[in-house]
Amino acid sequence: MRRLLRRLGASLFVIWAVVSLTFVVSNIVPGDPARLVAGAQARPADVAHIRQQLGLDRPALSQYVLFWKRLVHVGPGEIAKGDAQHESCAVVLPLGESAVHVDFGSSFQLGRPVVDLVSERLPRTFALALAGLLLQLLFGVATGVLAAWRKGSRLDRLLVGTSLLGISAPTFLIALLLQYVLAYHLRWLPLDGFGKTLGQHALCMVLPALTLGIYGGAFYTRLVRDEMAVLLKQDWVRTAQAKGAAPAGILLRHALRNALLPLVTSAGLDFGALMGGAVVTEQVFRWPGLGQLSVTALFNRDGPIIVACVIVSAVAIVVSNLLVDLVYARLDPRVRVPAA
Amino acid sequence: MRSIRTRLDACALLLASTGVGLAAIPLGCSDGLKAPIAAAHDGVAPLRGGTLHLAHYSDVRNLDPHGQYDAISLQAITLMFDGLVDLDHDSRVVPKLAERWDVEDGGLLYRFVLRQGVVMHDGGELTADDVKRSLERALHPATPNATRAFFEGIVGFDAYTSGKAEHLDGVTVEGRYVVTVRLKQPDAAFLSIMAIPSARPVCATAGNRYSRSWLPCGAGPFKLEPGGWQRGSSLRVVRHDRYFDPAASYLDAVEWTYLMQPMPQRFRFEDGALDMMMDPLAVDYARFVGDGRWKGLVVPLADNTIHGESMNTRMPPFDNVEIRRAVAAAIDRDAYIVNRENMTTASQLLPRPMPGYDPTWSCASHDEAAALEHMRRAGFAFDPSTGKGGWPRPIPYLVDARSTQEAAAQVLQQQLARIGLRLDIRSVSWPAYLAIGQRIDGTPMAPEGNQADYPDPSAFFEMFTTTSIDPEASANTAFYSNPTYDALVARARHEMDPAARHELYHRANDILCDEVPWAFTWAQRDVVVHQGYVRGFEAHPIWPFDVRRVWLDRGDQALEHALGGGLR
Repeated sequence: MRRLLRRLGASLFVIWAVVSLTFVVSNIVPGDPARLVAGAQARPADVAHIRQQLGLDRPALSQYVLFWKRLVHVGPGEIAKGDAQHESCAVVLPLGESAVHVDFGSSFQLGRPVVDLVSERLPRTFALALAGLLLQLLFGVATGVLAAWRKGSRLDRLLVGTSLLGISAPTFLIALLLQYVLAYHLRWLPLDGFGKTLGQHALCMVLPALTLGIYGGAFYTRLVRDEMAVLLKQDWVRTAQAKGAAPAGILLRHALRNALLPLVTSAGLDFGALMGGAVVTEQVFRWPGLGQLSVTALFNRDGPIIVACVIVSAVAIVVSNLLVDLVYARLDPRVRVPAA
Repeated sequence: MRSIRTRLDACALLLASTGVGLAAIPLGCSDGLKAPIAAAHDGVAPLRGGTLHLAHYSDVRNLDPHGQYDAISLQAITLMFDGLVDLDHDSRVVPKLAERWDVEDGGLLYRFVLRQGVVMHDGGELTADDVKRSLERALHPATPNATRAFFEGIVGFDAYTSGKAEHLDGVTVEGRYVVTVRLKQPDAAFLSIMAIPSARPVCATAGNRYSRSWLPCGAGPFKLEPGGWQRGSSLRVVRHDRYFDPAASYLDAVEWTYLMQPMPQRFRFEDGALDMMMDPLAVDYARFVGDGRWKGLVVPLADNTIHGESMNTRMPPFDNVEIRRAVAAAIDRDAYIVNRENMTTASQLLPRPMPGYDPTWSCASHDEAAALEHMRRAGFAFDPSTGKGGWPRPIPYLVDARSTQEAAAQVLQQQLARIGLRLDIRSVSWPAYLAIGQRIDGTPMAPEGNQADYPDPSAFFEMFTTTSIDPEASANTAFYSNPTYDALVARARHEMDPAARHELYHRANDILCDEVPWAFTWAQRDVVVHQGYVRGFEAHPIWPFDVRRVWLDRGDQALEHALGGGLR
């Protein structure tokens, strides 16, 4: 428990540091959000007016302090329509008459509460990240086990070669190939988009998830193959073989189980990163997730969205790490025993 | 306020934002084009009905005409909101919701008489009260309106926009259908300004204060379909059946899909799932133009954005007017326009579609000998045969990394090297380009552009006045200041006699040609490709993509003859 609390404390520090750094970088890099909102040829008086409306006329330190004060605060239990003070908040924990609010502010460009934008897109990114990761693991584990089992064979060389291609090809290339072949020529799947019904969402998710699956799967093929290749030479594998255990049992119950530790570590980190938004994939397939949102925000210097996306991403990675730690302890009893 | 950003070369956009551009060459750019889908009938009588499908690689950020609109928003806003006046295809101001107007008191008072029986999208009738309420909403201090300063000539503007007055004194309701606007001084551009979205009436549901949650509702020929705006994804507007002019448009609906990459756009367009394609990839454009089957279906839009090399008159070497003159004479504009799809040569401030454009007002033309002479007069003589002399240091030249500017910069670099000016091209992101380029000590030189927000010479000439200078966010990027010029431009703004006004701008133009804060180079236009069954599309000089008169003649859609079949 103490260890968990210590990790949580460290995680909060990491989030604070990342957000602060984002704030500093946002203020240092050239680019006037008010000018971007007003337009390149807007008159100086109009730019000043927009700057004042966005609160950018205040000193950077004051904006920073205000942001932290607003990020998590206690406010009314129900946000009344027209309540200017809390119009960009979301209630996350009711406390009777009052409630805990989260407030990322409002988007400079879209004028909408960022918390609404993030909560609209987070489930879509979560779904895509989950589907992508599952496909990565499915491809990676299946081909990695096969390659390790037939190490040195033609099959091994074919799988290793293919995985090299998968790792070398950037996601945008895989994405376009899939889009061109499966959507444009064969017309099996939608070119891009999100759809309107649950069935359409699922169908639209196939290509982006496949893209992520192929790209990441290639990495897992290498990881599983190399881990398994080492493990299959261990004495306890030889013992199992001598005792007449079936090859599939040796591969899956003995070797693969022992190869899970590095696999879980990588998968945990990957999931955290994917939750920050599969930027290229979402952009190519017009998948309305956090990746697409953060790219647009970056080009528009839309500070509140950028900071919110950074927070979501940082939290996702931190939570994934914590989960990996917990899973570790389940998978390997030695982790549960503190060092003497 | 619209962005005047150079139209992105979509390949470059993809490369920069997603890295897709490289792959677009082997994949999307190597296969052949399908044939256009032809019109179902040979006749010319417009048909009523159908949905026009469009797409854009960016997203619409706002649909409130009083808020922060841009070129993409404007496409939908011009369909959903009508103004008291509009602009015709010759940029002339014409009646719209106002059936007529009178100008009184020597140009100080405009009396608008509204059409009776104009029904807004919420079913209410448009009255003079709506006009006043809408103008006050647009100019209220809490409204994020980036065109507010255009209306500063209205009496009471300062008190109202600073929050000192509850109402805008200069706007008066004189009956159910009559509203007057009183100005501080006569303003020849006022009627044109009244055509822009900020001046367009909105439904009573909008109230008198800007609200982010309000959904667009106006008096235009199309209205938002309930649930038709999926933010970050799509927008659908449908015909307003009670529009005052039933013959104004033929389509049942217009639907946009946003954030669609150019390659899927082309795939869908060729299949007929999109009816028109805006700003095709440069490589696709070349293929459409080169394919005889698509002849007549590639339409250039108005070249209403002027571009030039902005030289910061407060920084060396351009604090020396002779160097600026040398630059203007050294540019070979025919060679400079690297992308003939989007660029036409220009050598004066006003673009061709602008009222007041006079082809005889051209500034310097390409003359290398004259450019070298200006360099000599500046004290930096350059000998092209030996390469000796010229300005001794490289000159930082700022460009937007994802635009046509970047390619054109290399041509300019070669042209100016011939007179002893070495450019150091610095490609930066669009936000950085704006921030640095508009700062007084930001950059000595950068390519700049200006698009017409309203069709009047003042929209261009006032950019070079002293009042447009701001040390941190200047609209006058050359930081050029000349009291004689300022006085001429101010007089022209208030001069109501067209001939006298033309002459004042002529003199102002001569000053710009002589003192060269910008060396004018090219005018920008976008391109649209449409299927054969899309009829009636005509480029508008101001509104970026006007589909109000478009009709569809597609065999697989049930359409009615508009002239014979009655209205649906």
